[in-house]
Amino acid sequence: MNLETSVPGICSATAQDRHNQRQVTIWAAAWALSYVVVTFATKREWLTSGMAVAAALGTAVLGVATLLAYRRFLLHADELQRKIELEALAIAFGIGIVGGLTYWLMFEGGVVSGKGFSFVFGAMILSHAIAVVVGRRRYS
Amino acid sequence: MKNRLKVLRAERDWTQADLAARLEVSRQTVNAIETGKYDPSLPLAFRIARLFAISIEQIFDPEMSWPETMDDHGSYARH
Repeated sequence: MNLETSVPGICSATAQDRHNQRQVTIWAAAWALSYVVVTFATKREWLTSGMAVAAALGTAVLGVATLLAYRRFLLHADELQRKIELEALAIAFGIGIVGGLTYWLMFEGGVVSGKGFSFVFGAMILSHAIAVVVGRRRYS
Repeated sequence: MKNRLKVLRAERDWTQADLAARLEVSRQTVNAIETGKYDPSLPLAFRIARLFAISIEQIFDPEMSWPETMDDHGSYARH
């Protein structure tokens, strides 16, 4: 997901793009914060089962809002920006599929525990961010 | 793809930012087109042509015509 795509010095997005990027960043930050808080509260057993369901649904709503904001950003983005994002998404998706399935095979083989799956998502987010920066450098 | 965008822009004494604003794209897009790193979409190419009031062919040159013959190695010759 596009957490921060504004890179000073190598990008000059249109005002509309910058506005849409800010919206994505705000929603993504709220989603990530909600995820961390709910995870922390669940591990500390602060939530009843009903509260845990409500918290999970609330986090999901923020996630959907982030996706919609990202979709809006892509639909209205400058065409070069869209191309850079597409290439970055392809890389992140590939890393997610390859990394996830590799991890799954190792998990099934008893080589690793199931706790590392979140790292696959982390790798997707990081690879997307790196690919966006590299793409912008390539076209500047 | 080669293009004359930089020349046309310079003739009007516009900066890349000026041209980007007129085309409603980012300055990075204008720069990438001028340096040949990015080929614009057909709608953007038409917008550029309309802005300069000339045809697309007068701005963009594909550098290579359509291949008509193959060489001995089975590759298309570059014209």
